[in-house]
Amino acid sequence: MLEARGLVKRYGARAALDGFDLDVRAGEITGLIGHNGAGKTTFMEVVTGLVRPDRGQVRVGGIDARRRPRAARRLLGIAPQELALYLTATVRDNLRLFGALAGLCGGPLRRAVDEIAEELMLTDVLGQRAGLLSGGQRRRTQAATAMVGGAPLLLLDEPTAGADPQTRAALLAAVRARAAAGAAVLYTTHYLPELADLDATLAVARDGRIIARGSQDGLTRGLPGELRLRFDGDASAGCLPPDLAARARLDGGEVRLASISPPADLAAALAAGCAPAWVDVRRPDLDDLYRSLSRSEVLHVA
Amino acid sequence: MSHETAIRTRALIRHNAVLLLRDPGALISRMILPLAFLVLLHPLYEAAQGRSGGTTQAVIATLVTFSLLALSIVGGSILTDRMGHTWDRVRATAARPAEALAGKALPILAALLAQQVLIIAFGVLVLGLRVTALPLLGLALLAWTLTLLGLGAMIGVLARSLSELSAAYDIGAMILSSLGGALVPLTAMPHWVRLIAPASPGYWAVTALQAALHGNGGRTLLACAVLAGFAAAAGLVAMSRVSRGGGRSARL
Repeated sequence: MLEARGLVKRYGARAALDGFDLDVRAGEITGLIGHNGAGKTTFMEVVTGLVRPDRGQVRVGGIDARRRPRAARRLLGIAPQELALYLTATVRDNLRLFGALAGLCGGPLRRAVDEIAEELMLTDVLGQRAGLLSGGQRRRTQAATAMVGGAPLLLLDEPTAGADPQTRAALLAAVRARAAAGAAVLYTTHYLPELADLDATLAVARDGRIIARGSQDGLTRGLPGELRLRFDGDASAGCLPPDLAARARLDGGEVRLASISPPADLAAALAAGCAPAWVDVRRPDLDDLYRSLSRSEVLHVA
Repeated sequence: MSHETAIRTRALIRHNAVLLLRDPGALISRMILPLAFLVLLHPLYEAAQGRSGGTTQAVIATLVTFSLLALSIVGGSILTDRMGHTWDRVRATAARPAEALAGKALPILAALLAQQVLIIAFGVLVLGLRVTALPLLGLALLAWTLTLLGLGAMIGVLARSLSELSAAYDIGAMILSSLGGALVPLTAMPHWVRLIAPASPGYWAVTALQAALHGNGGRTLLACAVLAGFAAAAGLVAMSRVSRGGGRSARL
């Protein structure tokens, strides 16, 4: 549904996009992650046609978005990072407008507005001005404006930023439902557990390009997890063999080891005579992957 | 016009009409202030130019000056959208720039026409203004309103802040209406002002309205054609800037 090849966008000497490649298939949720300035938002702006790339290609549903931007936009639903609602208009007015701009009218438009409002728990505030909504309600309204037209490609740029847990849960459920119905979803966030909840495949952006792409398991494989040990009484980390002791740090009464293979390290510790009273093994997760962005030059690509 | 274009344009017009009516402060002030101005200054114009000429000058001065001030409604509407990032939201849909601008412009066109009709009606009913050719007057009002829309849209996409917009409109409106001979007849102005007056859209608005009120069809049509040229030029600048992404929220 979305194919981007070799996108380059420069602002003076700075390259916001520098050979950006990304595919998102129908029915797939792709979590686009990376530090601020990695190129995530610029990429979304290129897809929507708000920013013209210096080089490269973008196709939406097979349509060349550079040559036929309006035809491509017909397939898009977008929730940008900044709140972009008509604050003096009601929630219903906002939803009606974006539904109509997606080509809906009459009964289908009314039904689409009512359905998305119910899905995102906005039914009770449909008649309220957007400016009077809480932060969470505004976030849900913004996401609803992206989804109301039934677009086959959703671009959601940090849709849950600053949202409460209720809003986050409702939004994630709506995103999952759209993907289950066949929509391709590109989702950027700094809240990495959301991507695990969405079972999203990942695309990691850095310095204007995608440096890793694949499943969460594939991308976190090879990253260190953590082995945590607690000892009773006077027992301590002194029992650890030298290679483990070199990686260990004391955190309160706990010994923590960064570990590529926590079970193997635990076995080595036990073999060396350690007798921990409590053990916890934590597999590498998305947070570890995210943190590794600033440390490693090249990430594993699944 | 395709079915989808019609749906989008209708939705944008309806939506912008709702926005205009939900926050009507500027609209109301632009409706009431000219009438107060007219009541206060009418005796002055009458004393200077006689009963008939003074009334005509007072009505035209008020209409041109306050409709220029009402430009801020057009530009303010666009700039508010740009500042609230809704302009980009609409641009990221299938709507053409022309549809987005038409959606903004048509409700405001109705509001500006209503303002001008109110001033004319007040002039006729209260001050005894004589209208000899109503269709010509309607044409002159329409041409002037379209010029205002074009100018308003152009400044709305060029301005980077509300204060910049406000300065452009307030100072620009006063200069254009003065240069055009709306506030003070050109015959009473210095020679150099008379030389540069035709460069001001206000001059052609005054010319069109005066000619229409006196039933001079040829002169009304000429002035309306010049106003249409101003409207087209300003509208094209606005459209071109929007098409090239120049009116983007991020560039404020």
